[in-house]
Amino acid sequence: MSDALSLLLLPFAASVAFVLIHAYLGVHVLRRNIVFADLALAQLSALGATVAFALGYSPTSPAGFGYAFLFTALGAALLTLTRMLSRFVSQEAFVGILYVVATAASVLVVDRSPQGAEHVKKILVGSILTVGFPEFLKFAALYAAIGLFHWLARRPLLAISSEARPTGVSAIAVPVWDFLFFLSFGLVVTSSVTTAGVLLVFSFLIVPAVIGSIFSRDLRLVLPIAWGAGIAASAVGLAGAFFLDLPTGAAMVTAFALTLVVAGAAKTLLFTDAEPRQRNRRIAARAAAGLALVLILVSSLWLIVHPAADQPLLAVFERASGFGPSAFLNAGEREIFADAVRDDGRFQAEVEELNARERAARIGAPLPDDEVRRIASYQQTFNEMAKGERFVADVLRAKARARERWILGVPAAALALLGLVLLARPCFEGRLRRPLQHDELGPEGTKLHSSS
Amino acid sequence: MRRGLLGFAVAATLAAAAPAGAALRVVAATADVAALAAAVGGDLVTVETIVPAGADPEAFEPRPGDVEKLRRADVLVRVGLGYDYWLDTLVAQRGDTRLIRGGEGYVDASAGIPLLEVRGQSVVNEGGHAHGVANPHYWLDPQNARLATAGIAEALVRVLPNERERILANRATFLAALDMRLARWTDTLAQFAGVKLIAYHNSWPYFARRFRLDIVAYIEPKPGVAPSPAHLAQLIAAGHKQGVRAILHEPYEPEDASRCLAEKLRVPVVVLATSVGSVPGVSDYLGLLEYDVAALARALGAPSQ
Repeated sequence: MSDALSLLLLPFAASVAFVLIHAYLGVHVLRRNIVFADLALAQLSALGATVAFALGYSPTSPAGFGYAFLFTALGAALLTLTRMLSRFVSQEAFVGILYVVATAASVLVVDRSPQGAEHVKKILVGSILTVGFPEFLKFAALYAAIGLFHWLARRPLLAISSEARPTGVSAIAVPVWDFLFFLSFGLVVTSSVTTAGVLLVFSFLIVPAVIGSIFSRDLRLVLPIAWGAGIAASAVGLAGAFFLDLPTGAAMVTAFALTLVVAGAAKTLLFTDAEPRQRNRRIAARAAAGLALVLILVSSLWLIVHPAADQPLLAVFERASGFGPSAFLNAGEREIFADAVRDDGRFQAEVEELNARERAARIGAPLPDDEVRRIASYQQTFNEMAKGERFVADVLRAKARARERWILGVPAAALALLGLVLLARPCFEGRLRRPLQHDELGPEGTKLHSSS
Repeated sequence: MRRGLLGFAVAATLAAAAPAGAALRVVAATADVAALAAAVGGDLVTVETIVPAGADPEAFEPRPGDVEKLRRADVLVRVGLGYDYWLDTLVAQRGDTRLIRGGEGYVDASAGIPLLEVRGQSVVNEGGHAHGVANPHYWLDPQNARLATAGIAEALVRVLPNERERILANRATFLAALDMRLARWTDTLAQFAGVKLIAYHNSWPYFARRFRLDIVAYIEPKPGVAPSPAHLAQLIAAGHKQGVRAILHEPYEPEDASRCLAEKLRVPVVVLATSVGSVPGVSDYLGLLEYDVAALARALGAPSQ
């Protein structure tokens, strides 16, 4: 456990630093309606690093950083221009174009100089788990400086982010502030993306800001909520990655999404006025029940139409209930099915055992080549046999499911359909009643309503 | 670094320019089988490579120029074992029967190799049966170059029957040099027999078998999926317990996880080349293994030679 703590402490500290600066910038980005600008800037800086590598500089050298920064500044300038173009087309379209072109350009550069691919790969996946202490200090210093700049220039920066034609900022100053905003934004994502990867940086940026904006429009409330939610999501993601043995970045992105769902549910079901809250709870309950029933209906129809195909929901049900396909087989078939499942596992274990024997021989008594060939040929045979057993199991499972569809599929479909009809009835009644309520104003309408 | 790249580029240009017009055109999937083909073919062949030197062959995407290379090819040398599966569609597009399995100019360099770690988990279905894909990095055992060059020599003789003597002589020269170096390499690494190592990917079973190394774990067991914290914690625990001496790292993989683990275990990260051209200055097959053996010996603390 202390091992885990020492391993996760630095990633968590880095996540907190990331959340503090990204959630704030995320509020800007949301107001500007350009949520993918970070991807575009990050990709441009990756392109810069790749170009630097192709020219023979290490990405961590001053020249490498110089190239990355130059390309980021170019991106900032291009993004500044999009405000002028936004009269014709949405800015997001240009951001998207910038992103794909930067990505494609890095692929082209990598093709000429393959060693740079490492950098592109790193940006995609990230490795927040292995962030080092010196890196963390570098982030902290950089973010503190950029945070200070944003604090000092908060009035014009917030004004240009919130309004298309900002008041209180002269028309000439707008592009300058825009450029400074994008440049500082680019510096932040350029530094964070190599550590956290594009997916996670996007989550740091957008999800906490969205959560904050759900609850309030006031920046003094939005920011603390966003920071709290982002830090909580990071902690949950890191803990989940550790205890469930998952890749860290992907686990954290999922944790951010879950936090958003929880926050959305909390807002609609807990933190609203009493009357809409009641209505929201009813709607939520009905939606959840409806979704479950639709899933059951579709799954059982799929079972009826095509019993031999993959049946994901049924497989989950079988695993949870222990009520498997063998219940629909006769005694002989059941025995063959059990044998096939068991032998598949046995053959795969044999393959692994042979692997272990060969591995041990690498440092023990060496195996001659012919012995290794014999092992390989046994392994191929075991693989074939395991595949055969899986085929037998699949055929029998399909057979069982072909019977199961009448016994389980048809009643399940009927029940789900009935449930859906019952669930939908109040809606239909409401729709029938609503126009009548409109007519209640007139004497005719009252009559109709009372007679119904 | 820059000079290294430049040197490699010059060497590659010279290699391409040297043989005259009537030379046989050999197209190889990777720089490694290309290097072996060049050793066997000598002046009789020009060798072109499809995957650029230093690129990750398992993440390769063919280009229109590659179709053009195959169109002109007389002999195709592939790594096999599903490693260069994209060649199948490229060759099928051409419809040239000489370059498909069983054709006159077709070489699967993996034929006859004693395969390691044959597992039946591949989705790639080769020739309609569960191939049970083995670990494909067989060229990292120098002994396997003997078998791979045999297949290449056989195909070259099929296409150029009159040059049989020269082709066999080329191969014999190559094997003599290989044997001499292998004896030295084995000697250099003999003092480290049984040494425990952690590798980034599972690219080294053949190398480990030949030089008696014990690779106890991998940082990235599934390609492209970053290690989980639990896995990293296990690696640290196992590294301490088993006395791991170094981390093997491939040049085109992100360094962070290897570096982090190396810091925790206080051992060096050794960048080993899996392929000809993947580190600057390594431009032929013997040079590849020379580099790897020297880098490993240096990292493990061998007295410099």
